[in-house]
Amino acid sequence: MSPVAEAVRDGVLPGRVWLYANYHCNLACTYCLTESYPGAGRRELGERRMLALAQEATELGFTALGVTGGEPFLLPYLPELLARLAGILPVVCLSNGTVFTERRLERLRPLAELPAQIQVSLDRPEPDANDAMRGPENFRKVVDAIPRLVERGVRVRIATTVQAIDDEERERLCGLHRRLGVPDADHVIRPIVRRGRAVDHGLGVDAGPADLPAELTITTDGAFWSPFGPTVHGGRLDTDLLITRTTMPLRVPAAALLRLVEARPPGSDAQLNIQ
Amino acid sequence: MTGVQLVQAEQAPLLARRYYANGDPGPIVAALAHVPELLEVTMPFLDAALGPSAVDARTKELVILRTSAVMGCRYCIQTHTVVARNSGLSVAEVAALRGPQPLEEAFTDPRELALLRWVEAVAAGPGPVPAATRTALQRHFEDPEVVELTLLVGATLLLNRFCTALELPTSPKVLRRLAAEGWA
Repeated sequence: MSPVAEAVRDGVLPGRVWLYANYHCNLACTYCLTESYPGAGRRELGERRMLALAQEATELGFTALGVTGGEPFLLPYLPELLARLAGILPVVCLSNGTVFTERRLERLRPLAELPAQIQVSLDRPEPDANDAMRGPENFRKVVDAIPRLVERGVRVRIATTVQAIDDEERERLCGLHRRLGVPDADHVIRPIVRRGRAVDHGLGVDAGPADLPAELTITTDGAFWSPFGPTVHGGRLDTDLLITRTTMPLRVPAAALLRLVEARPPGSDAQLNIQ
Repeated sequence: MTGVQLVQAEQAPLLARRYYANGDPGPIVAALAHVPELLEVTMPFLDAALGPSAVDARTKELVILRTSAVMGCRYCIQTHTVVARNSGLSVAEVAALRGPQPLEEAFTDPRELALLRWVEAVAAGPGPVPAATRTALQRHFEDPEVVELTLLVGATLLLNRFCTALELPTSPKVLRRLAAEGWA
């Protein structure tokens, strides 16, 4: 058994490897970690590299994959790539849920038979509050897309990213996701992290390595500690959570991450409920 | 103006942070911090090659400063002028190592002159190093010392080209000291 496999088995290292598929997005959310927007540089990992990384991840002993961006579904090859990734390891793909055309939804149908999940962002139970953070028409598109994914058997998880939410609003939100076909077990509420565009809007909580799970995260710029690591602020990539510039072979950043995790003093596990 | 941005403390990658723990780590670390996995292996190597070892500090500074002068590395010449002075080399010796005056004006010990000829032959390259120069060196130094000193030339060459190519800035503290002592 490899050191990574042992560390994952013992709970020392999280089992998921994140792949930043791209950095561009059709939205420009106020708290976006990566300052993504339609004109952002794409910085795609690319199909071939993502598959190779997934293959090495499973060989090293990682147990799951995450795909994020940017908006990954802006990449034309993504539906079929997700199916291929899910054939290697269970995969969750993050999406803003606004680009699911009928044709794209049909191409996602094979995911129903695979260990694959699409995590869609939905922050508020009402359009106005939701769209203030995420842009016009976001709410309508998301609540339209989720049941259509569910109808096709695709497992959907909803991620709510908020500065704060009271019990009443949370109950309305949970009522909404249940009506959309998403059970409570597939709904996560998490804080805004004060990185990227959230810094400019004075939003969120500060988060460092002590707060963030040590999930190996691969981008075109290098390997990072957590998918909250490779953030962009003022157009510049943050490197404070950079592990290595080398991403392939994956064993290079994996070994460095393991060294960092093992060097932490006892009791330094992640404190924030950031998933 | 440097050839690359130097990584500041707040952006220091995880593997680089320990080098920033006591303040400004200097431009070599701040440049290497862009690629933490290289920083992580390069600095221990440079520490082992250039730092305290079985060979005394004076002898090592002869090698470092002369190599840097042969290569014309402004950063290394300035920095190691100060280090060499701190290691006990006289003003005349440092001036001779920096060139262009003949080394024999400041150095009379045949052991040190043999070493400096070896340094010049190795650093000036390319192609083979004359056997006679190596034989002269080996009259005064054992094989482990020859190996260490030759590697020290190589490590200094690496630094010379790295610092020159990236136009790394000499620290203000070094520049003040050089000015106070009348070095150009």
